[in-house]
Amino acid sequence: MANIRLLDKRRKSIRNIRKITRTMELIATARFKKAMDRAAAATDYTQRITQIVRDLANSVSEIRHPLLQARPETRNVVMLVLTSNRGLCGGYNSSVLRVLLAKRADLVPATNKIELHVCGKRGINGLKFKNLSVDKSYTQFEDKPAFADVAVIANELMERFIAGEIDRVDIAYTRFLSSSKQEAVVETLLPLAGLDTPTQTTVSADDKKAADYEFLPSAESILEEVVPASFRVKLFKCFLDAAVSEQIARMVAMKGATENAGEMIGQLSMTYNRARQARITREIMEIIGGVEALEG
Amino acid sequence: MSSLQCIVVSPERTEMDVTAESIVLPMYDGEFGILQGHSPVIGRLGYGCLKIRKSGQNEERYFVDAGFVQVANNVVSLLTDRLVPVSQLSQEEATRELEVANRMPSKNSEARAAKEKAVSRARAQLRLLGAGK
Repeated sequence: MANIRLLDKRRKSIRNIRKITRTMELIATARFKKAMDRAAAATDYTQRITQIVRDLANSVSEIRHPLLQARPETRNVVMLVLTSNRGLCGGYNSSVLRVLLAKRADLVPATNKIELHVCGKRGINGLKFKNLSVDKSYTQFEDKPAFADVAVIANELMERFIAGEIDRVDIAYTRFLSSSKQEAVVETLLPLAGLDTPTQTTVSADDKKAADYEFLPSAESILEEVVPASFRVKLFKCFLDAAVSEQIARMVAMKGATENAGEMIGQLSMTYNRARQARITREIMEIIGGVEALEG
Repeated sequence: MSSLQCIVVSPERTEMDVTAESIVLPMYDGEFGILQGHSPVIGRLGYGCLKIRKSGQNEERYFVDAGFVQVANNVVSLLTDRLVPVSQLSQEEATRELEVANRMPSKNSEARAAKEKAVSRARAQLRLLGAGK
């Protein structure tokens, strides 16, 4: 029972850790709220662009755009991976990497070359550990991705896709479904899987009414601009989703850590108290024993 | 009393939601004025100046970074990448942008188109700055 001091030291250090995890949880909560607000603010643009596409679809017989056309064979693929720069967020990064590697294994036999573009230090390190070469890495995205930064990536991918250098762009990220459910997914960004055009059944009376729009300069020319814009905003939404999910993951992980630390402190306190009591008892016994020996 | 709702959204947030008397939009090929009761229009925006006149007030001027506009039922919605009040544009930045744009390669038609876009974007900013003085 010489480890009473050790037990006490350990308890103190766990208390300190609990303080840190508790603070991180609070910070993650605050950041999550901010990220959530940003994501909510961004939906307005998405809705309006969908609205424009719908109105356009009513007056253009067929939507054609190079970004929408699937290639007969996919030879060169770019996989974009969105991970976080910082750790301590539970299984957030590892689940993104897991789905990415599974998808990559599927793609390898049919393709010529797979480029990995990775955002976030955790993903870069994770792939390095797996001995995969990262073709391009970005670490400038924190919890507030700026549209201007995302647009640069989007434009580059679009240019290369149109030029025929790449035939497909996939993205692995954590999709935000609700504040209690996020899942790591791989989605195909290019070719765009069709714009969110309404199916025949949803074209209601008020859409018909809206069909008499005047187009400046022409519906086709507007469409030419709308498709890249909606690609950019789609990519931006992925970044926002990833940022929100990261904060949630960190919040949950840190909440768990704080709870565990509390539990551990309780256990250690109990062991410590027992050890202390045992020592006191032993000392009393020794004193009594000594007294008895003297008397005897 | 004529009124026209003007909503400007960027991918990041809703930049502006105001009621105005008249709005002048920078279209891809020139300016386009809108008053109350305009017929429905969907159009492409260029780089230029958005002018909003509220009743009894001076005209407000903003730089618009391309995008789209939709006019319906006295609601003018602009979708643009960036909206900056003219007073916040910076001369140095715009000049630098123009220099960068002028140095862009123009090997093939795509690069040429990108260059033209960048040049006209920078020129539009400079034009607005010049007009503001």
